[in-house]
Amino acid sequence: MFETLPERFREYGLAADVRTLLLLNKSMEKGLVKTLGDLYNVLKGVVVKDPEMMGPFTKAYYDYFLNIKIENGDKLSDAIARSETFKKWREDFIKREKLNKEYSLDELINRFLDEVHLTSYDIQSIISGKDIFDNDNPYLEDNDPQNLGDNEATKRHLDKMADYSDLSLEELMKRMEEIAKQQKSKHSGGSHWIGTGGISPYGHGGAARDGIRVGGTGGGKMARKVLNDRKFFPVDMDSIINDKNVDAALASLKGIIEESAHEKLDVPHTIKEGLKRGGLFIPEIKNVSQEKLQVILLIDNGGYSMDPYVYTIRELFKKMKTRFAHDLETYYFHNTIYDRVFSDVRRTKAVLVDRLIKKDANYRVFVIGDASMAPYELNKTSLRSFKKITKKFKKTVWLNPEPKRYWHHTFTINVLKQVVDMYPLTPRGIENAVKDMNRKFSSGKQK
Amino acid sequence: MADKTFWLGSDKYLCDRELAQAFHMSRVLGMPLLIEGEPGTGKTELPLQYAKDLNLELFVFPVGSKSNVEQFVARFDHVKYLRDSQIEILNAQREEKGLNTKLTTGNRNPENLSDYVIKGPAAQSFLSPNSVLLIDEIDKAPREFPNDLLYALSHRKFVLPESGEVIEISENEMPAIVITSNREQELPTAFKGRCIYHYIHFPEADIMREIITKHYPKIDNKIVDVAMDVFYHLRNVGLERAPTTREILNWLKYVKQFAQKEAIEKIENLEGIGALVKTQTDLEKIQKHILRDPQDFKRRSTPN
Repeated sequence: MFETLPERFREYGLAADVRTLLLLNKSMEKGLVKTLGDLYNVLKGVVVKDPEMMGPFTKAYYDYFLNIKIENGDKLSDAIARSETFKKWREDFIKREKLNKEYSLDELINRFLDEVHLTSYDIQSIISGKDIFDNDNPYLEDNDPQNLGDNEATKRHLDKMADYSDLSLEELMKRMEEIAKQQKSKHSGGSHWIGTGGISPYGHGGAARDGIRVGGTGGGKMARKVLNDRKFFPVDMDSIINDKNVDAALASLKGIIEESAHEKLDVPHTIKEGLKRGGLFIPEIKNVSQEKLQVILLIDNGGYSMDPYVYTIRELFKKMKTRFAHDLETYYFHNTIYDRVFSDVRRTKAVLVDRLIKKDANYRVFVIGDASMAPYELNKTSLRSFKKITKKFKKTVWLNPEPKRYWHHTFTINVLKQVVDMYPLTPRGIENAVKDMNRKFSSGKQK
Repeated sequence: MADKTFWLGSDKYLCDRELAQAFHMSRVLGMPLLIEGEPGTGKTELPLQYAKDLNLELFVFPVGSKSNVEQFVARFDHVKYLRDSQIEILNAQREEKGLNTKLTTGNRNPENLSDYVIKGPAAQSFLSPNSVLLIDEIDKAPREFPNDLLYALSHRKFVLPESGEVIEISENEMPAIVITSNREQELPTAFKGRCIYHYIHFPEADIMREIITKHYPKIDNKIVDVAMDVFYHLRNVGLERAPTTREILNWLKYVKQFAQKEAIEKIENLEGIGALVKTQTDLEKIQKHILRDPQDFKRRSTPN
């Protein structure tokens, strides 16, 4: 059952595999899954490992279990309203409600979401009368009118409720299987399982309970929220860094923290060895690793082409500095480095490259610039300076905000990237730069 | 049999429903619950309040940048071991010389290595069935720490150092393990895979009100209205460090001692704003914001 789930979920960029299925099965055996809403929650706990995956997960879930496709930028309610699944459900709903009331589309969608996200916890708390969302909230009226929809949702009644708590595992499996089968034949347009034991708690012949309120509708509300918020979708790792993905870039930078070893007296070892020698204690030394990070930033802040990036880059590294509290030095240059760089933004205080390379060889150097200039600007002095820098600082990389696909059009980029390893200034580019930096370090250590 | 019933919070602690479900699920499956979310959303409170409410034994491991698995599980006290073994030699020598007084090892026997094993919170909680184990702020740990936990987490088993003693617990009696993280560092995928994951959303106004009344049952509703308006407005300004639940509770603690009218005035004048805003740049930003459009701010922070 659900064999296709990992594959289909992976299409959404989710990390689903055999273990997901095993955990899902275990959850079912333990009675954690009794409704579709439970299925959503359990799978979420197992599959989602990052808030960024909530969006894709919700989409995958609606696609796989409900055959509702949510396009990019779609609102959940629009996607639902469009779907065959919803149309079938509505027919069924109207039939069983015997229509003594007119329902607007919004109301219907709310009811649909209620049923989809109804969990056995909801049912349980209704049955045991412990619904914490049940208390009347006199302050809700003060809210904006646009929130009214949600408030109504929390106040709505579900008149009858099927009791799933005595549903046996076998019955459940059977129903789930049916869903899966429907899923396979979805191109034949068959979503008629809705109402006949699919998502609807009414479809199953449980005990009808009158006048019980289902409150919260937490799941449906949350699903809407998740789909409307960029925060719950992965950032584009291949777009040039900007305010939105600067945190992802920061995360990629974290890989550069390294450990340096220093020596320390190893007490346990000293004692052990001493005892073996019959009480003659000779200090044993061990290497203790310590986190350490030294960074030199060389930023091209000349010319309009770099303007949009300078601020974000400085923010990025400033964040890095406050986050890790390490050694960070920033210098500036215009287009390319000749014999000097500058320690201030306006480029008045010069620092000679020859002085720069006197620094500890463990510094990591990030050159940030578009490396685009008139060919004559990139002269011998400049190239020599870059060679000096890369020779001294083995861990030097160039981050280029110019999209990688244009690199080969620019002569100076082609030249410079042979001298300094060049990466695009994107979260992924930074990640790769850091990875390659670290590799260089380890190979250097073996010498 | 461990407590596997659904727990929705106590009279002091409102457990978000989604969180409650994730917590229940983790206990039923015998897996640790990994909670991430903004600071001040009550991540740490969950296990503390749960243990308190149900009267369960609680073990806490606050993670720091130097934490290691030895501190978490158990370590061997080499110094004591050395002292005791020296004492034995010393006592033997004394006896030879006909001295009667003996130095004591405090009932520890150097032959018995387990006497020198000092158990950390993990070992202790695995020895007391159905306890609660909190691993707080795991993102502060050195990178290898979470990976070092993997074995124990998936096998429910620790091997103690030197003595080789094995501590094992059944899935049924497994402690409820809660791990919190502020996402300062990405946790290894393999580690996350062993946990049930839950991301705490920032509470919306209706939930926030419930949280506030749980803490200050007698508070004036009007005051809460005004304060919450300012609070959510501040959160939307785009501050470096947006105020959280903890901060609004502290702020209300300050203003609630005044009479309604006075308290509302204080809130509108952003008195004691230091309780909400924690960085200089943020303070400046708010001041600028108010200067630019004081009417807007006033309007938004005044109840209709």
